Amino acid sequence: MILALGVGVLVTGGVFLVLQRGVVRVAFGFVLLGHAVNLLLLSSGGTDRREPAIAGSAPLERLTDPIPQAFVLTAIVITFGITILLLALAARGGGDDDTEEEP
Amino acid sequence: MWTLVALGGAALIAQPLQHRLGRTTGWPLAALFLALLGAFASQAPTVLAGRPVILEFPWIATLDVAFRLRLDGLSLMFCFIVLGVGTLILAYCTRYFPKHAPDRGLFALLCLFAMAMLGLVLADDLLLLFVFWELTTISSFFLIGGAGPSAVLPARQALLTTVSGGLALLGAVVLVSVTAGTTRISLLLENPELLPDGGPGVALVLLVFLAAVAKSAQVPLHFWLPAAMAASTPVSAYLHAATMVKAGIYLLMRLSPAFSGRPLWIVLLLTTGLVTALLGATLALKQHDLKALLAYSTVSQLGFLVALIGVGTPEAFEAATVHTVAHALFKATLFMLVGIIDHEAGSRDVRRLNGLRKTMPVTAALTALAALSLAGIPPALGFVSKEKILAAFLEVSGPPWLGEALAGVAVLASALTFAYGFRLFHGTFIGPLTQPSLHEPTWQFLLPAAVAAVAGIVLGFAVPVLDPLVEEVIAATHGIVTDPHLTLWPGLSPELLLSALTILLGTVLFLARHPVDRWLHRWDTPVRAEDLFDRGHDSVVHLGAGVGAPTAGFAPVRHLLPVLALLVALGVSALLLRPPLGPRISGATVVEDWFLAAIITSTVAGLMVARSRVAAVSLMGLVGFVVSVWFLLLGAPDLALTQLLIEVLTVAVAVLVLRRLPTSFHPVRRTRTAVVLGVAVACGAVAAAGTYAFTGRRELSPGGRYFLTETEELTGGSNAVNTVLVDFRALDTLGEVTVLAVVALGLAALLHGTSPSGWTGPRTGGGPIHNEADNLMVIRVWVRLLSPIVVALSVYLLFRGHYSPGGGFVAGLVGGAGIALAHVSAPGAPLLSERRLGPPLVGFGLLVAALTGLLGFVEGSYLRSLHGEVALFDLTVGVSTALLFDVGLYLVVIGLVVTAVNRMDIPSEESGDPRREERT
Repeated sequence: MILALGVGVLVTGGVFLVLQRGVVRVAFGFVLLGHAVNLLLLSSGGTDRREPAIAGSAPLERLTDPIPQAFVLTAIVITFGITILLLALAARGGGDDDTEEEP
Repeated sequence: MWTLVALGGAALIAQPLQHRLGRTTGWPLAALFLALLGAFASQAPTVLAGRPVILEFPWIATLDVAFRLRLDGLSLMFCFIVLGVGTLILAYCTRYFPKHAPDRGLFALLCLFAMAMLGLVLADDLLLLFVFWELTTISSFFLIGGAGPSAVLPARQALLTTVSGGLALLGAVVLVSVTAGTTRISLLLENPELLPDGGPGVALVLLVFLAAVAKSAQVPLHFWLPAAMAASTPVSAYLHAATMVKAGIYLLMRLSPAFSGRPLWIVLLLTTGLVTALLGATLALKQHDLKALLAYSTVSQLGFLVALIGVGTPEAFEAATVHTVAHALFKATLFMLVGIIDHEAGSRDVRRLNGLRKTMPVTAALTALAALSLAGIPPALGFVSKEKILAAFLEVSGPPWLGEALAGVAVLASALTFAYGFRLFHGTFIGPLTQPSLHEPTWQFLLPAAVAAVAGIVLGFAVPVLDPLVEEVIAATHGIVTDPHLTLWPGLSPELLLSALTILLGTVLFLARHPVDRWLHRWDTPVRAEDLFDRGHDSVVHLGAGVGAPTAGFAPVRHLLPVLALLVALGVSALLLRPPLGPRISGATVVEDWFLAAIITSTVAGLMVARSRVAAVSLMGLVGFVVSVWFLLLGAPDLALTQLLIEVLTVAVAVLVLRRLPTSFHPVRRTRTAVVLGVAVACGAVAAAGTYAFTGRRELSPGGRYFLTETEELTGGSNAVNTVLVDFRALDTLGEVTVLAVVALGLAALLHGTSPSGWTGPRTGGGPIHNEADNLMVIRVWVRLLSPIVVALSVYLLFRGHYSPGGGFVAGLVGGAGIALAHVSAPGAPLLSERRLGPPLVGFGLLVAALTGLLGFVEGSYLRSLHGEVALFDLTVGVSTALLFDVGLYLVVIGLVVTAVNRMDIPSEESGDPRREERT
């Protein structure tokens, strides 16, 4: 199940970036976490069936589960919204996006 | 019911009325109160004949909570007090306040309070009672706090104390609801066996007791009441003497039938009541401020009432009923008169007032009448009630010494009452005249006080008229019919002797006032309850600050680390404690997966170490592309397409943001990197292990099977993912689009007015490499060629969406990606120079989508899509409302992209701004 490895890698990168100082890196980390969760959702539907979930295009036992995909489709869009908002926050500060307080 | 409505309405119109009429607003409101009083009086014969008036509206049916009102004898008595005293107070307001400037919202709050108080005593449901209980607390808070800056602290103190009592009441309500299964008061009182016994029973008694103690200012929670005297005099007289503080008394009387058999209840009420009566009277004797004196007096008198309820016999309740009425009358009078004295003489300090008898004879006479009632001297109503109190204490069931001891304490407290009552009168009106220029106030000012004062005496003579009311109160609380036989002069009896003793002792205390004073002022309570309260308050605030401290700050790391640590711990424990897992299904990995995983790993690693922002953006985009390829490989072409477009847009927006920011990321300390890396790897490991352990172990889910087999039949579409989104779960999609719209507006708001002149350097060096405009030439040419194609493609996708739903969204992304690309390659393109285009586009799109949903009602439900065919020239075109819905989505997405691109861009003419030094 190589998908689990992918999820692990994406979570590692995402968490690492989310814990950084600049908002841009935080936003990128958030994107990676979004990818990780989306892959996890797809994985929950099972990866042994890989035919697109179009009824009648293949025997039923080979079609993917449409429910996780519907979740992911929504998740992608929402992640996009949050990412843009984070980037806007980064752009808002005058020339710098540091989140750390001045020492 | 309609009285509540009337008062609520009055509260609403009172404010504008006050604006117009100033203090004279009191007259129409007093008339209203009087009318309502008449309405209750018209119900009185029914109620007094033993037939409660009941009203019920369903409210929270699932919890068996209803808007139940019930007017019985006990409620009737309190209604009379609330409305009767309310009438007098409102009339009093018309002269007490300066012409145009009563406290803001005073009349509205008074009406609101009266409504809440009526609701409280009428409610036949504990939850309803609680709601009104809290309403009285809140209106009290605003009425105290409205008196000026000096009243802020007392108001807070009163609020916190009474609200803690309210919380106790809520606890009691929940406890009753859970254990007894109903919160209907009359039902509970008829079947007290429904109430819990044992531990929960003890808790219930304690909670009810605490609620009443806080509300009725019993020791040790009495301190808020004297402090609340910071409020204006009408408020003090109404809320903090006659009515609101009696809410606790009402609660105790109302629930007494259910608890009177419990020893804990009796012990608590008797000891608290008597200690309060004694302490309150002593403290009252100590005061020089007349208002504070009256406040402590109220505390003390309420103590008597609580102790009487503890005694619990019908005789005790007779005494409590008469005393409640008597106290409301004389205490309201005294407050009003003190207000008048304060108003006329400019002080209410008993040491500064002297001989006012000569200049204000009417005021003096009225004060004397009320003081007679307070001190329990015939022929005042207070005398009757005091006799009754002493008799009730003497006849308490239990060992013979108990009655004598109780009566002894009562005599002592009454003697103190007598003493301070006379001190009040003597100090104010007797003695040499020091302010000869004073004169009597107008008759309108005196009238309300006079009515109450005279009523206290007349009722003393005519006390048998209270018989039916008292009888009904006993019937309501004890369920038995009694014949109270109230008389002013019961003949020679033990309590009469005690009364004589009281008067004797009181006179001694009064005559010996100078030594008593000296002694009192040397003596102080060892711990002051208000200090304890303040300390408690401070430490709670301190604790709150301490709890919040770790998250005070803006760095995400401070907020996220504990959460992540908890998640890892949860994940690890879930893996350790997992239930037995099914066997893995084979064939879950294909060889391409390995390549993709490898690319992702190396890209993510690169992203983690990247120092340059541009590199990071590129790598992030690359990860997105790889993920969308993986989606495709996993059999999710819709996801792949969407992800791809989203990735393009994200990168485009990120590039625009980067123009404002330094070229490389902040330098990071090694230790920090190490710690963060450790956390990240732990999280990643748990995520990977969890994914491996908990997925890929089952066949197609039943839901998935349902959609796959039924989609064609139910929706006509074959693409299950899209039909789930647009047909089965269209409302979710609408919600999703709304999120996008909110993001767009958020962007517009966030970036509104920010100086677009952000980071502009360093762009050292010249030469062809650094010349943006020239470097973009290739892209620009291609974009110019591609733009029409992209737009056409997006429109095609939109219309195709009719047959494969969801097209509007993807189409919008395509169009948006085209716009973004055009913009990145050629900033300041004509299409986008209008900065305000985005938000209206978003709003319009959302409106279209939402309104389209309404069309679905034609066939029965929101968002149901309607299909039909329209003959257009020779062609028959399929038309669906889903297309309109898609157009809405399309517009929202385009609007979002336009907003993002516009708001994040730096106008090119600003690029020559002064350069800044890069942070190091």
